[in-house]
Amino acid sequence: MVKFTADELRTIMDLKHNIRNMSVIAHVDHGKSTLTDSLVAAAGIIAQEVAGDVRMTDTRADEAERGITIKSTGISLYYQMSDESLRSYKGERHKNDYLINLIDSPGHVDFSSEVTAALRITDGALVVVDCVEGVCVQTETVLRQALGERIRPVLTVNKMDRCFLELQVDGEEAYQTFQRVIENANVIMATYEDPLLGDVQVYPEKGTVAFSAGLHGWAFTLTNFAKMYAAKFGVDESKMMERLWGENFFDPATKKWTTKSTGSATCKRGFVQFCYEPIKQIINTCMNDQKDKLWPMLQKLGITMKSEEKDLMGKALMKRVMQTWLPASSALLEMMIFHLPSPATAQKYRVENLYEGPLDDQYATAIRNCDPNGPLMLYVSKMIPASDKGRFFAFGRVFAGKVSTGLKVRIMGPNYIPGEKKDLYTKSVQRTVIWMGKKQETVEDVPCGNTVALVGLDQFITKNATLTNEKEVDAHPIKAMKFSVSPVVRVAVQCKVASDLPKLVEGLKRLAKSDPMVVCTIEESGEHIVAGAGELHLEICLKDLQDDFMGGAEIVKSDPVVSFRETVLERSCRTVMSKSPNKHNRLYMEARPMEEGLAEAIDDGRIGPRDDPKVRSKILAEEFGWDKELAKKIWCFGPETTGPNMVVDMCKGVQYLNEIKDSVVAGFQWASKEGALAEENMRGICFEVCDVVLHADAIHRGGGQVIPTARRVIYASQITAKPRLLEPVYLVEIQAPEQALGGIYSVLNQKRGHVFEEMQRPGTPLYNIKAYLPVIESFGFSSTLRAATSGQAFPQCVFDHWEMMASDPLEPGTQASTLVTDIRKRKGLKEAMTPLSEFEDRL
Amino acid sequence: MELDRNYEIARVAEFVRSGGFTRVALQFPDELLKDSMKVVKALCQELDSSVKLYVMADTTYGSCCVDEVGAAHVGAECVIHYGHTCLSSTSTIPALFIFDKALISPSNCARSLLDHGPKSGKPILVLSGLEYAHAMPEIKKMVASDVSSISGSTSILELLYADVCCSVVAPSETCTFANQIGAGSEVERECPADESGQSYNIGGLSWKIPQGQKMDDYLLFWIGSDSPAFANVVLTFNNCEIVRYDATEGGLVTDVSQSKKILRRRYYLVEKAKDANMIGILVGTLGAAGYLHMIHQMRDLITQAGKKSYTFVMGRPNPAKLANFPECDVFINISCAQTALLDSKEFLAPVITPFEAILAFDRGSQWTGAYVMEFRDLIASTPVEREQSKEARFSFIQGGYVEDLDQQDDDEVEKDEILSLVNVTEKALQVRDEESRSVMKNTAKSGAEFFASRSYHGLDINNTDSLPGKFLAGRSGKASGYKDEKAEISQS
Repeated sequence: MVKFTADELRTIMDLKHNIRNMSVIAHVDHGKSTLTDSLVAAAGIIAQEVAGDVRMTDTRADEAERGITIKSTGISLYYQMSDESLRSYKGERHKNDYLINLIDSPGHVDFSSEVTAALRITDGALVVVDCVEGVCVQTETVLRQALGERIRPVLTVNKMDRCFLELQVDGEEAYQTFQRVIENANVIMATYEDPLLGDVQVYPEKGTVAFSAGLHGWAFTLTNFAKMYAAKFGVDESKMMERLWGENFFDPATKKWTTKSTGSATCKRGFVQFCYEPIKQIINTCMNDQKDKLWPMLQKLGITMKSEEKDLMGKALMKRVMQTWLPASSALLEMMIFHLPSPATAQKYRVENLYEGPLDDQYATAIRNCDPNGPLMLYVSKMIPASDKGRFFAFGRVFAGKVSTGLKVRIMGPNYIPGEKKDLYTKSVQRTVIWMGKKQETVEDVPCGNTVALVGLDQFITKNATLTNEKEVDAHPIKAMKFSVSPVVRVAVQCKVASDLPKLVEGLKRLAKSDPMVVCTIEESGEHIVAGAGELHLEICLKDLQDDFMGGAEIVKSDPVVSFRETVLERSCRTVMSKSPNKHNRLYMEARPMEEGLAEAIDDGRIGPRDDPKVRSKILAEEFGWDKELAKKIWCFGPETTGPNMVVDMCKGVQYLNEIKDSVVAGFQWASKEGALAEENMRGICFEVCDVVLHADAIHRGGGQVIPTARRVIYASQITAKPRLLEPVYLVEIQAPEQALGGIYSVLNQKRGHVFEEMQRPGTPLYNIKAYLPVIESFGFSSTLRAATSGQAFPQCVFDHWEMMASDPLEPGTQASTLVTDIRKRKGLKEAMTPLSEFEDRL
Repeated sequence: MELDRNYEIARVAEFVRSGGFTRVALQFPDELLKDSMKVVKALCQELDSSVKLYVMADTTYGSCCVDEVGAAHVGAECVIHYGHTCLSSTSTIPALFIFDKALISPSNCARSLLDHGPKSGKPILVLSGLEYAHAMPEIKKMVASDVSSISGSTSILELLYADVCCSVVAPSETCTFANQIGAGSEVERECPADESGQSYNIGGLSWKIPQGQKMDDYLLFWIGSDSPAFANVVLTFNNCEIVRYDATEGGLVTDVSQSKKILRRRYYLVEKAKDANMIGILVGTLGAAGYLHMIHQMRDLITQAGKKSYTFVMGRPNPAKLANFPECDVFINISCAQTALLDSKEFLAPVITPFEAILAFDRGSQWTGAYVMEFRDLIASTPVEREQSKEARFSFIQGGYVEDLDQQDDDEVEKDEILSLVNVTEKALQVRDEESRSVMKNTAKSGAEFFASRSYHGLDINNTDSLPGKFLAGRSGKASGYKDEKAEISQS
């Protein structure tokens, strides 16, 4: 029952004021996809009857099986507003036809890169919050991300059915819960004061909060009820809406509104009296099959049921009645159309966030005005694997101009620098496609303000890119997206049949393209490594790799591998010396741990090689207690010239020192990448060059002599400074009812985790637990936890920090030394660490 | 006499006489040098006084190759090469190879072969290190007699022996090689198949397998130590099951997984080489036939890939020597097959073989697991056509797609030379940010650019400090420990 054709849709795409681009964001399992499906049902792609049972947006088999969303899916919906409901709409519009480009995004933290990509190409967000569980970690994370991108949110309090059927709470209690949920969300939103975006908080009385039951396919905003009662009370709709929320009470006995409860038994809060109770009544009547009572009630509400529907019983009847009375689609779509900005509106203020170039050039202007006749500005936010294996759709949003089939476009990759030729291609678009869940429709062109999928550019776009017209050589790209998670979990993959290696290589390339968060690398030993944000993410990636990108060729994966870091605990016990191969040059060095917080500061880029030396020495002196002079003597950072280790020159009056600086730096870059313990990266070590003796003849102190020596002396100083391993640690957040706490604690204990915060969610039986958990112990954590709590606890893990392992890796038999041996074995190195005597020399 | 047997004095004399050579160079590896005088004496007795003998030692490159340059210095007409060899063909001078004769117990070896053989159920190809070539006839005989003595089950056992192709190498042979190259055999390492099957040749060993059989079907039985020659076999036939009979231990080594690891490691080095911008070509031989051709081929390959190459001639490469050229991201070692594999973590930049270079720098070629060591096979395998896909290259080292910008740049240079000149000038005249001059290896595209990014450029001429410096007392003592350093030690 497709209500619209591609042509019809294409016509609306030109009406930039009648388009809404929006994403659905929420914590995992708060019902995004189910809710989205009821919207899709209304837009006519699937029949109304199965909405809620089939998840239209989860197009992958594994998504349906696991019941979670993995990839974000875009769907274009069509909705016609009634004149009446648009009466008070102030913004610009063109007739009543609206196009909603909706993107359903995953809620699991492992896939938050998908959310980032979705947010970039939308202007509004529907934040879905479970009315019982409330605002959770991931709700907060994605909400912050959305607001950072200047995306206007509206809220829906979902899973209302739980209140009525499962918890059976009374009106006032339910109101308090909803109120708290909204408040919690508003607390986060209030921190984003933005004059251009205006107030982003949500208010039920303004119609920016909906109450929904995605599973049953009904929802309402206060607008619905206000309309119903406004006539009855003879007041204005907006006045009525205000009365339906907050401290407004009504006593049917006296027929009076008060701002305080009068204490009389019949005096109830407006919301309870006029919204909650009627719904409750209808639901109860339906559930109890009191049909004789039901029909008159429905008649009063003006609901007409089809005759075959009248035969339904119990839950099915209730669902049907509620869907007819308060259809989720109209409540939510109307809310979004009414309160979320059109591209024309949103791009006015988003241009600052989007465009990298000067804000007064023609491209910025075209984006700002959402000008279909301006130069093309299109941002590709993700690559979607196409059904024919190996090809990708480039999915993105047109911010200005039009993209059409056959158009020659300039592709600016993430590393493109205006004026240079790096990461720049010119290519023709083979086909422009609008993407609608399971269906793709080819269209002639797509104007600005819409999402689009392009065919034929996948070879030239690696992950994301900005497209513009061929001739627009002075355009700057659109800013790259920042991701909030990092890939910390790694597995080594191998093909079962050795001759499949080319397939594996090709597959890995495609995998890397399809997911911005996955990193495919190779180890020194020649093993291919796939790194992902979490165990689940990795599992999905490997499945994709084998099934979709390698054509089913079998792969063997290792156990998850965690990368460690090497650091030191104390200053080197003595100044160590190494001699060059010709024995004529000597380097003296000491290693010491960096001050606390310094490594993080380098990670964050607050301190780095590109800093102004004055600023750097100021930060180092003020925050980390460095000597100001010393701060100017930092030779370099490493590994990769930006890493959290450094070399500092402490020499006094040494001849030719500046001559060997480059060689020492090269040796340090090399050594800091492969530490002495297990060839893991170093972290948080400061190497001090104490003294240098060099041969008087320049040829004898060249790179060949100094680079290997610098490396050796760095290793020697690391080993003498009580080397330690750092392991990555997750911040785990778990929500569970009280009875599950025991199970959670015992699993955490067993996995070396420790709880540092336990809080009961006010008004719920749920507890919120925050804990640190070593990443290496996190494999299988979710399933163990679920087993121990009979499925009541679901953890969300995000990488938090590096933690030092207490045991000494140099002492045989300790945990750290076993780890070092394992890593070395895996990397194909000699199992025993190279002894200090190999690195340190004596006079 | 022991000496006579080990150094095959009679055969050498016969070779020299028959060739009518008057100036003969004797090349000894370091470990046999001690016997050189005795050998010369013995030869002198056998030969005319008109024949002049020269002893060559301390070969610049691997002692397995014939030192043709050394021989040319004395104007030698032929070279007698003693000791371990890779049997690479020579380019100018004929050479006679006298192999080592290592001790082996033929009976023990034959028994191991027969014990292990039937287990796999595969036909067996017996290969040996050249130092055991002298014992091969005996082993063959013993195996044959043992097989006949144990009747029945052994009939399954299919044995094939590799032969030492020839201990005399004449430069003329290389010409025929060149002809073959011209003809261009399509599959590398396999010479054109004749009716009786395919012949193979590696490290001086040659054999022919019957038609309809593949090398992968065979079990390789290697007699000898874990030498570079063995490593070559393992790499080249990495799909075969391989066992090694260690003559000094007198037992079988069935676990050769270490060698498989080498292959994986080489794969990593290839991936790493793909990221290189500047490549050093190390000339590691001046003898092995085809080396010049190989150098040219490498240069062309690198230029085509839009990268920069520098050629170095140096004796055996070691970490200290190579670290003098930190601008090179990777080195290609052009040398005979047995000295080509240099892998040590001590090297700042990886050292790869020409075959690996082709894999790395030729876009579109893939690592299939096949591995080629010898030049002649490589030259033959030069890709004829290649698909120029303009897709960004995926770097497994950096874990993402990277841009080989040079390739694009070059394309445009051809199109518009005048404009390119303008661009180059413009680039050269750009004001450079002083701060960005940190050593970022991967960004420099040529040696000059790398040098410009260094913080030290030699003496600073523009030093404005015109006052003469103070006179300072220098250090005194020896480089192994100056006097002031000695003092420190005695204090502590």
